[in-house]
Amino acid sequence: MGNTLLEALNVRVVGNGERVLVLAHGFGTDQSAWQRILPYFLPHFRIILYDLVCAGSVNPDYFDFRRYTTLDAFVDDLLNILDALGVDRCAYVGHSVSAMIGILASIRRPELFTKLVLIGASPRFLNDHDYHGGFEEGEIEKVFSAMEANYDAWVHGFAPLSVGADVPAAVREFSRTLFNMRPDITLFVSRTIFNSDLRGVLGLVKVPCCIIQTAKDVSVPTSVALYLKNHLGGRNTVEMLNVEGHLPHLSAPMLLAPVLRRALSR
Amino acid sequence: MPTPVSIARQCLTDEAARALDDAVGVARRRSHAQTTSLHAISALLAFPSSTLRDACARARSSAYSPRLQFRALELSVGVSLDRLPSSKALEEPPVSNSLMAAIKRSQASQRRHPENFHLQQQNQTASFLRVELKHFILSILDDPIVSRVFGEAGFRSCDIKIAMIQPPLSPVSRFPRTRCPPIFLCNLTDSDPARRTFSFPFAGVSGSGDGDENSRRIGEVLTRKTGKNPLLIGVCSSDALRCFADCVERRKGDVLPAEIAGLNLICIEKEISEFVGRGGSEDKLGLKLKELGHMAEQYSGPGIAVNFGELKALVGDDAPGEAASFVVSKLTSLLKAHPNLWLMGSSGSYETYLKFLTQFPSIEEDWDLHLLPITSSRSSVEGFCSRSSLMGSFVPFAGFFSTPTDFKNPLNSTNQSITLCHLCNEKCEQEVSAILKGGSTISLADRYSGTLPSWLLMAEPDTNKGADAVKAKDDGRALNDKVLGVQKKWYDICQRLHHAPPYPKSIFQPVPQVSGAECYGFIPDRRETSSKDSSPSESGSANLSPSTTMNLQKISPSKIQIPLPVVSESESVNFQSKLAGSVSKSKQVETRSSPWFSPCPLPNLSLAPDRTSSSCITSVTTDLGLGTLYASNSQETKRLNLQGHKERMNYFSGSVSAEFDVVSVNNSSQIGQSPSCSVPDLGGQMDARDFKSLWRALASKVGWQDEAICAISQTVSSCRTGNARRHGSNLKGDIWLSFLGPDKVGKKRIAAALAEIMFRSSKSLVSVDLGYQHGSNQSNSIFDQHELNSCGIEFRGKTITDYIAGELRKKPQLVVFLENIDKADLLVQTSLSQAIRTGKFPDSHGREISINHMIFVTTATSKKGNRNLVSGKEPVEFSEERILGAKSWQMKILIGCVTGEASRSNGMNVLVTPREGTSNPKSTSKRKFIDTGSFAEQDKYLEMSKRACKASNSYLDLNLPVEELEEDVDSANCDSDSLSESSEAWLEEFLDQMDEKVTFKPFNFDAVAQKLLKEISLNFQKIIGSDIQLEIDSEVMVQILAAAWLSEKGGAVDDWVEQVLSKSFTEARQRYRLTAQSLVKLVPCEGLSVEEQAPGVCLPARIILN
Repeated sequence: MGNTLLEALNVRVVGNGERVLVLAHGFGTDQSAWQRILPYFLPHFRIILYDLVCAGSVNPDYFDFRRYTTLDAFVDDLLNILDALGVDRCAYVGHSVSAMIGILASIRRPELFTKLVLIGASPRFLNDHDYHGGFEEGEIEKVFSAMEANYDAWVHGFAPLSVGADVPAAVREFSRTLFNMRPDITLFVSRTIFNSDLRGVLGLVKVPCCIIQTAKDVSVPTSVALYLKNHLGGRNTVEMLNVEGHLPHLSAPMLLAPVLRRALSR
Repeated sequence: MPTPVSIARQCLTDEAARALDDAVGVARRRSHAQTTSLHAISALLAFPSSTLRDACARARSSAYSPRLQFRALELSVGVSLDRLPSSKALEEPPVSNSLMAAIKRSQASQRRHPENFHLQQQNQTASFLRVELKHFILSILDDPIVSRVFGEAGFRSCDIKIAMIQPPLSPVSRFPRTRCPPIFLCNLTDSDPARRTFSFPFAGVSGSGDGDENSRRIGEVLTRKTGKNPLLIGVCSSDALRCFADCVERRKGDVLPAEIAGLNLICIEKEISEFVGRGGSEDKLGLKLKELGHMAEQYSGPGIAVNFGELKALVGDDAPGEAASFVVSKLTSLLKAHPNLWLMGSSGSYETYLKFLTQFPSIEEDWDLHLLPITSSRSSVEGFCSRSSLMGSFVPFAGFFSTPTDFKNPLNSTNQSITLCHLCNEKCEQEVSAILKGGSTISLADRYSGTLPSWLLMAEPDTNKGADAVKAKDDGRALNDKVLGVQKKWYDICQRLHHAPPYPKSIFQPVPQVSGAECYGFIPDRRETSSKDSSPSESGSANLSPSTTMNLQKISPSKIQIPLPVVSESESVNFQSKLAGSVSKSKQVETRSSPWFSPCPLPNLSLAPDRTSSSCITSVTTDLGLGTLYASNSQETKRLNLQGHKERMNYFSGSVSAEFDVVSVNNSSQIGQSPSCSVPDLGGQMDARDFKSLWRALASKVGWQDEAICAISQTVSSCRTGNARRHGSNLKGDIWLSFLGPDKVGKKRIAAALAEIMFRSSKSLVSVDLGYQHGSNQSNSIFDQHELNSCGIEFRGKTITDYIAGELRKKPQLVVFLENIDKADLLVQTSLSQAIRTGKFPDSHGREISINHMIFVTTATSKKGNRNLVSGKEPVEFSEERILGAKSWQMKILIGCVTGEASRSNGMNVLVTPREGTSNPKSTSKRKFIDTGSFAEQDKYLEMSKRACKASNSYLDLNLPVEELEEDVDSANCDSDSLSESSEAWLEEFLDQMDEKVTFKPFNFDAVAQKLLKEISLNFQKIIGSDIQLEIDSEVMVQILAAAWLSEKGGAVDDWVEQVLSKSFTEARQRYRLTAQSLVKLVPCEGLSVEEQAPGVCLPARIILN
């Protein structure tokens, strides 16, 4: 099971360091998103890279629509990978959906994680009476319809918005990986994501977390970062990046790398 | 007026002209008075192998058979043509305005099109461009009538356009795309199977419900040996629990693992809430529980699970403690007694559970609980599956994406995401509105088609739109897609044509962007003029050895690969089109139309000084990487005009970006200041190897760093004269300098001057602030406007290494200015070390770029050993750190009353208010700056955390637990220690390899301040009188000093005092009755940035009187 999983999810282990670092990409990207961050950590960490099962680089046949109905299945994948690699302690950097996956994984196996770094994380995207997640349910439905109607157009609209249109190279990169995903999987996973609500379980996290939030993120309002800080159960810090965009590792790797380093050294 | 066919034909290539002839033929046959775009379309579609047909076939909606859709298209074209009024037959129906406009548009777009660029160069003798068929068709497709016709047949003209632009065999995605249904055939939509291109399997899955992850998980917990009783935690947990109960009740096979199949689930939630909430009797609940116990004993299956429901019932505010503990103790004993009894419940949030836990600390063991985080519920999945009824919204992706206004006006503020450049944005908007119009016309057209001519219909849609709302709603979705398509298309076009959406000007490259070309344009001209008239510069021109000039001219063609467009209108103009020879709208500028070199002519160099201002004001700026131009707004030009008067030698001025200002001012000021010197300066350019000329040139830029300049000149000249230094066996042509110590502005300016002198273009300077990431810029800093703070945004999306490598690749000769070398990250360190060792700079992919003629200048504010030198001096009033914090605020004058004893120091009635709220500002701020090395204020959050860290070094915050605090500090310390240690070692080694290390002296702000205050005082006394006091806010003083530091011309601030400040004093005197008790205050308007700058200095041109 282990090996096929490692193969299926394109697990790569690189770097020369002692400590283990997991870099988990977010929705719409694959492990190549970490390309620009990677060089900074290669000398110091043994880095585990993998693709989420929904990523375009993974054979879409592996995506079981019956299994991946909640994030827990993604968490299973992550934990299985770590087990298969014999990792017993690691730091975890997760972006967007992977941040959520990391949170859940650390609840299930707190001893496995020394530190969680959550980039662009949100426990809940939909607004609630006293919670501002950034989206109204109606809006989400519209997005889904748009996605269903014309994936191409949706990608072209979504990518620059998400990344920040002033970084064409990063937009291209994100569009590419977003396009690589099969549209039905994209839609299914985004439904799963928007359907998830981690707010109730944040307190179960005991691992120290570092929440990295960009100044302007179309998907995650700044208040969410503070919500996370206040509700996550461990010792938490918030790092604000003074850039735009939901994908700082694509659009501002220079800015993110030192922050990550600092976060991981603590 | 329609255009005669023969004239229109002249604009077209043969192929396109044939198409036009066909269109004319169509119009003639139908006896139409004019040839319109529709005729052209009709003609273009007539041939089965035409380009347009081919594009249509590729852009076709997959939903319909091609035959059907083409038939629909022909029909709708035919119907539209039928609607046109016929008149008496003409032999050659002239070309209609709209079609002619399309031809003009295609001409323009063809010029813009980079692929055709070389083509123009080849036959640029032709006064205009012949439009190719492709472009002709493309712009015809822009015509709203045409896109309507296509729309009716289910085509989107933007798709067709994309298909035309793209080569046939490049599918955009691997996946089939769904398209909007053709409006013409919209009633077929539902029955069309191809619309459901990808099926969504999950719809079936969740409908049957057997794939419920949560229930499966709950089942898993139930089979565990220890911790077998699940407590679901999460917002959706009660849903999940209910769901699980449903599944168990309905005995769905695969929800429960085999071991516990047949589990009996009993819910006592109601009983508990009744008991706890309403104070029911203990007996009733006890009875129920006893019953449960009996059941468990007698039950033959795997066991009984007791669902106690939501935990909140037990810990809520209205739940009395004793009732809850009764329930808990009963359940505990029940659980102990019966091994085949399970307990399960849910908790909406972890906090609730925590409360419960504090009430019953041992509950986790007693109940053998397993906390199961639940993050989603099935019921909401089902909710998501239902198809939304909101599809018809007019606003695509409303809310999720920025609102349409954001899309259309991306330059509202620099913070907003920018999607399109101005030009494309404008066009996109036009097209969107055209489509929206077209969209509503369709419905109208359908309705009125019999009664009204179509041109009338076109004119009316807006008025009828409201009445037609219902119909419009139906079309809404299709329109949405259209609009989106258009936006996407323009985004594509924008990306392709302009390489990138342009950045707002404030985040242009930090490099002063004067194109190299102007220098070349200047030098020959200069020679010309000086040989003609005996201007004061003649003596200098003697220095111009002919050979050098020749040399220069020889160089220039190879160097001027960057086309230098000339613009003077305040609109963004695509530069290709400019180069194609379209004359700029400016009156003064004549463009020498050489295909790739259009220098800025400087015709009036020899004119009398007072005449210069009226002519030769050209605004030139290029943005190398982006290829889009921004020209100055009139305000700036005006300002420069003014300046031109003053400087008398206005050979060149105007610009958008402030940095360009600097350079032009700089150049002219030099000449203005010391006429005799101007040409020796030029002579300096001629022979950069000469130490003396280099020294003189540098000293004229930065007057206050004599020793540093001396050292720099010496090093550079000795390196250039080839004191053979080697990288292994290769001769070393690169020069490495390190500027240490304070004076950020001086360092930068010297680097810029080096670039200008050594490589004859200030474009040859690439400046990178390696420390930018350690602190972001203050908003509205005065240094922002001077681009002295490189803000790092231009590095977005790439590493610094790659940025530098990219710049090195672009130019053969470059001064690379690296600020805050001590803050270099690991990658930059590696690359730099290799570069200084081997003469080759590796980028992050390992590709190496030779740095043979480059000059690398690195700066660091402090260095070990030098620190004493800097900070050991007696405290200064205005430190560099303070000046660097200067903001560019508007200033205002307030009139107040003297309160109490005002001390008058040193005979002046001007005093500067002490800095607010800090008794000893220097010690804290200095520490901060030495620590972080950042010039700008720290990012809010960063600073907060840092301050917290720092503060904890000195005292304990009693609000924080001690251990945590110390741990934090320790780890932070050791992190920074290890980090700084390794980088310090690197720095030392790196600096040792430098050709020269130059230590700069601090800029003496206090002396300047003294001088300025004296000046201000003098003016003040002269205008207002000596018995009234002037109080200058220290922030204002800082701002003035910063301006003085930044200004290239010595007396710029003095001039400002004399002109702007004095004028305000005069006004104040006129407006107010000033008595001896009055106190005139000069304060900053915080939050209000400078609207208009005074010429030559970054201070407000007007002071608000209040």
